[in-house]
Amino acid sequence: MTRADHRRVLLWRLAILAALLVAWEWLTGIKAISRTPGLYWIDPFFISRPSAILARFAYLASGQVRLTIWQMALSTVQSTLWGFLVGVSTGFAAGLVLGRHERLARVFEPYIVAFNSLPRIALVPLITMIFGFGVLAKIVLAWTIVFFIVFFNTFQGARSVDADLIHSARFLGASDRQVMRTVIVPSALAWTFASLTPSISFALIGVVVGEFLGGESGGGLGYLIIQSLGTLNAADMMVALISLGVIGIVMALAIKQLEMRLLRWRPEYRGRA
Amino acid sequence: MSERRPRIVIRDLAKTFREGGREVAAVQDVSVTIREQEFVAIVGPSGCGKSTILNMIGGLVAPSAGTVEIDGVRVAGRVPGNVGYVFQKDTVFPWRTVARNIAIGLEYRGVARTEQARRVRDAIALAGLEGFEEAFPATLSGGMRQRVALMRTLVVEPEILLMDEPFGALDTHTKLDLHAELLALWEARHQTVVFVTHDLSEAITLADRIVVMTRRPGRVKLVHDVALPRPRDVIKLRETDDYAHEYGRIWHVLGEEFAGRA
Ligand SMILES: Nc1ncnc2c1ncn2[C@@H]1O[C@H](COP(=O)(O)OP(=O)(O)O)[C@@H](O)[C@H]1O
Ligand SMILES: [Mg+2]
Repeated sequence: MTRADHRRVLLWRLAILAALLVAWEWLTGIKAISRTPGLYWIDPFFISRPSAILARFAYLASGQVRLTIWQMALSTVQSTLWGFLVGVSTGFAAGLVLGRHERLARVFEPYIVAFNSLPRIALVPLITMIFGFGVLAKIVLAWTIVFFIVFFNTFQGARSVDADLIHSARFLGASDRQVMRTVIVPSALAWTFASLTPSISFALIGVVVGEFLGGESGGGLGYLIIQSLGTLNAADMMVALISLGVIGIVMALAIKQLEMRLLRWRPEYRGRA
Repeated sequence: MSERRPRIVIRDLAKTFREGGREVAAVQDVSVTIREQEFVAIVGPSGCGKSTILNMIGGLVAPSAGTVEIDGVRVAGRVPGNVGYVFQKDTVFPWRTVARNIAIGLEYRGVARTEQARRVRDAIALAGLEGFEEAFPATLSGGMRQRVALMRTLVVEPEILLMDEPFGALDTHTKLDLHAELLALWEARHQTVVFVTHDLSEAITLADRIVVMTRRPGRVKLVHDVALPRPRDVIKLRETDDYAHEYGRIWHVLGEEFAGRA
């Protein structure tokens, strides 16, 4: 893609965003029956309007509130990153171990499949009961989701390492640990990375669901959403949703960057990092 | 030649694979003795068990019958030390640069960094890979990747080299280049080499002795001493009458195998 192409795409994206915002603001301002108050073609009560959202954002960002939007966003981001990190490292380790030990994998298989097929949302009350209404419950919930995504990918990756690569490492004098470090881990990493982008999204989902139930002590944007539902405040809800969207995009981009650095040996990343 | 001590002794070697209830005899009754500093080629039609023999020498496949001894020690289920193996398949680590691929064996052995760097630099110069030190294998040609695989094996200075059709996937020109390079490297160190190939001219160019295999199940059909002087020039060699003579003799025997019934 050339530079000019890039610019044109960016321009179009901005134009669409501007058009959407203008349409949103305009359509939610037209009354259905001109003299009857409160009756709109598209009612801002449900979806709010950009100007109202901006105003609420400014208010929530100011020092006038007990819990600012920054604090809530920070809480959500921190819990997501923790859930993600713990989930990725445990899932990766478990995937490597079971991927290289056929017998062990067969022993654990039914448990893993059974636990993974539980809808994670169903675990929320139990996790809350065990870990309380705080940050910990959110992290645990994110972890239960991320762990399995990363585990299954790494497991496949560790199992499909080319046997001849392992043999050639042995002939070059590698010990078991050296084979693991220099052949199996880098080879499995390509598979693991494929699971990281979905993992961060699911970590965010886990955290927000945790926050729905977590109350004010857990804080976070999920708390803002539930609170706005209580007060029927669509503008606040939109502030929370847009913030979540931005957080999601930034995290996904960060992972893409990391992937391009660590997997720069792959032909598809050649010359891009 | 016969005064040299035996390094690889293969006795009555056989391998039968079980494949979905069916038994496939891959190798039968193979007995060969390979001596110190000898360059032996194993030639035979595809599927005759050449790789299987090499894998049994390297301890990757357990024999169904018979034994392999290296320096008097029976090879059993593990990779023997002092042996280098160059696989037919590309086994250069794609996530390591050329320099770090060549260094890997030294790294495994805990050789000091500065010494590693020095030996890698020498190896890269020998293989004509200057300028590609920091390149990843995916950006190299097949010939260059096989050079990396060869240097990676040689840099740890194995006394015995097992090579399974290492140049099988290369075009004729690149192949001849690599023959010349391999022979030059071998003249310098005189490793004991077992070189598997289905290419008769390759075998004659490189080897002191050629073991011709039958079709599956692979047995030894003929053991032939190559009476060509060394050092050999891989290009000029092919124009000589001696080469043509060697080729003709083995081709006749091998032809029987390719043609059908022996
Ligand atoms: N692991 C295996 N399982 C079953 N059959 C095998 C296995 N390895 C090789 N064979 C069979 O043994 C025969 C010899 O194979 P191979 O040694 O690879 O031949 P070559 O290297 O001479 O082409 C072939 O028929 C092949 O299908
Ligand atoms: Mg083969």
